[in-house]
Amino acid sequence: MKRARFSLGYIVRRSLVHRRVRSLAALLALTVSAAVATTLLTLYVSLNRQLHQQFRAFGANILLTAPNGSTLPPETLATVRAIAGPESRIVPFAYAVAQTTTGAPIVVAGTDFTAARTMDSWWQVSRWPDAAATTTTVGSPVAAMVGTRAQNFLHSDDFSLTYNGRTLTLHTAATLHTGAAEDSRILISLAAFTAWTGQGASTLEVQASGSAAQVEALLHRLRAALPGVQVHAVRQLVESEGRIVDRTRSLMLSSLVLIALTVGICVLATLTASVLERRRDFAIMKALGSTQHQVALLFLLEAALLALAGAAAGYLLGSLCAFGIGAWNFHATIPPLWQAAPAVLLLNLMVALLAAGLPMRILRTMEPAMLLRGE
Amino acid sequence: MFFRLLVESLVRQRRRKLLAATAILLGTATVTAMLAIGASVGDKLNQDLSSYGANILVTPKTDTLDVVVGGVSIRPATAGSYLREGDLTKLKGIFWRNNILNLSPELPLHVTLTQAQSSQAATVPALGLWFHHTLRYGTESYPMGAPAMHRWWRLQGEWPADSALDQAAIGSALAAQMHIAPGDTVMLNGEPVRITGSVSSGDATERTLLLPLALAQKITGQPDAVRRVDVQALTKPEDALARRNPDSLSPALHDRWYCSPYANSIAYQIQEALPNAQAEPIRRITQGEGTILQRISGLMWLVALAALLAASFAVAASMTTAILERKQEIGLMRALGASQFSVASLFFAETAFLSLLSGALGYLLGSLLAARVGREIFHSTIAFNPVLLPAALGLALLVSIAGGAPSVLRTLGMQPAAVLREDG
Repeated sequence: MKRARFSLGYIVRRSLVHRRVRSLAALLALTVSAAVATTLLTLYVSLNRQLHQQFRAFGANILLTAPNGSTLPPETLATVRAIAGPESRIVPFAYAVAQTTTGAPIVVAGTDFTAARTMDSWWQVSRWPDAAATTTTVGSPVAAMVGTRAQNFLHSDDFSLTYNGRTLTLHTAATLHTGAAEDSRILISLAAFTAWTGQGASTLEVQASGSAAQVEALLHRLRAALPGVQVHAVRQLVESEGRIVDRTRSLMLSSLVLIALTVGICVLATLTASVLERRRDFAIMKALGSTQHQVALLFLLEAALLALAGAAAGYLLGSLCAFGIGAWNFHATIPPLWQAAPAVLLLNLMVALLAAGLPMRILRTMEPAMLLRGE
Repeated sequence: MFFRLLVESLVRQRRRKLLAATAILLGTATVTAMLAIGASVGDKLNQDLSSYGANILVTPKTDTLDVVVGGVSIRPATAGSYLREGDLTKLKGIFWRNNILNLSPELPLHVTLTQAQSSQAATVPALGLWFHHTLRYGTESYPMGAPAMHRWWRLQGEWPADSALDQAAIGSALAAQMHIAPGDTVMLNGEPVRITGSVSSGDATERTLLLPLALAQKITGQPDAVRRVDVQALTKPEDALARRNPDSLSPALHDRWYCSPYANSIAYQIQEALPNAQAEPIRRITQGEGTILQRISGLMWLVALAALLAASFAVAASMTTAILERKQEIGLMRALGASQFSVASLFFAETAFLSLLSGALGYLLGSLLAARVGREIFHSTIAFNPVLLPAALGLALLVSIAGGAPSVLRTLGMQPAAVLREDG
């Protein structure tokens, strides 16, 4: 006869299509569970990196200083950059105490404005000098960034300072406000500083991203590579960072477990109920002569199909969600985590098969006739 | 009749109700917990962030310019103006007094330090500080001082007593250089002083002698004087209002600004309390803290939102199934002559009762969970948030009715006979 019409595939397809609402509800539940699991897993895995990235807002966490009064060897910057990697930010500083025309001492710092701008995001600067303005042309006044406190001690925007008998003419190109020591200083480009004082950078401020252990390892490497230079961590920053990152991670992990558990249990309960409800189908099939295995296979196959479709849709949706959260909250790209796909699939299959398998155990012991009578 | 049906259905079909009830319970518990955590994570982290130390710096207004390089004052101001130590009590009288967590006044000076055995002498920078000072305001007293401000300082030995004029702590680098260990007695400007502890800090403090403020004032001959005060305040991250110039705000906005714990409004109030002082937020710390707080709270809110969505879907799916299971029942009631309206009311009343009950239990469970998470992670509990109760109940009600309604309405739209004939 037309045996082919009643192949397993046909029955599964008909069963899924015929009971559309229920199939859709189950699919929806499985999709949501997979999407939530994917989002949270992806976020959790990239969380460490994202959080450490946020702590860059605090600026340098490592300081390299030349011993008392001397300057760092010129190749130090390149050495540090090679060791710390391209992701770290490095800003050189040189300091001198100069005299204003009235004889008042004032701290002048030479730095790299472009580097300082990326690292010291809290600096409130009226107008960052563009790279062209910081290159010195001989004879013209040097563009200076003047701290808001230092400004009160200068009597005009154009002023001159004396260091070791050499006078430099400067022009206030911008004002700087930080609420800290920088407010009492005058900043000029390192090139102009060196041309004027004959001194190079004495301090390198380094911002290394990573956990406390990574920063510690970097400190050791820097110390080994640069003997004679004082290398130390800004302890104030490094210690708190580790604690806050750890706490946020624990918080995320507890949330992840809580949400996954809730969604998992709800989905399990929903699917179990919808299988249990089909005891009449089960009974009819058995009454028509199906074996226990055939029926079980049918139910499990249906569940597995739904789980697979749910996992695929959920993975896509979840990766998209994680990406959105990354862009919106961290202003960073959180790429899809491919390792999440098998994990989510496995999770979904487990929930679905458990949900299909549990009622089977109950139904197996019952006589088809009893089930059909509705007992 | 209606109530009898309702009660009987709730009493007799307990197994069937259990699924929906469990789903609602777990859903509301998760959402309550996540919202409670999301709402309090800012406060909790703010306390963690206070380990960054001072976020407001108070200095005398008319001052000579600081000449400080690498944290060391090159030219300590001999003249110049001072703040008065006695005035600091006033800081506990400002509008946001409870947000002021710690004060640490400093008086820098230079002293001649003579090692007792070798008579090796050197002029070294010193700093007068509070160690465990008790600030009294009215009947209240508050512990204040430098060790709590600089939590990254590591002390070996003990801090000097604040009232002692013959005790001091020494920076670890200076101690190593001068061969001084805690317990030694040294000569300070010719007076014997016992070194009670050595401090490692990772910054310029390691090369400094730390004196009780009273001793520093005695040496400089400036009683009651302090050069700067580090203030640690619990602040709110800067937003659009905080970034505007306070002088340009309308009176109403100015009041709002004044009554918000922004770093700059607290600094403004400190300036009001101390007439000759200039108070400035330390932007590195306030901006950094703001970024961290915003990102982490933002993350937790998004996760709470994800939990909300996921729980809603899970509950809605459970309700759909729970109603579908009872199609026959609807068919039967309709066949016996019940109107569409009365059947729908019965089902919705059942759902409402169930969701309110499970929702309330879920709220309790969720609050307990949040409290537990708070204790485990932040070592301080997250209090019950009563605002979340109506939110949790409303949500449970809305989601379960929305989940069940399509199935109920669809079944009601069908002929009772067709419903009854339909196999499961």
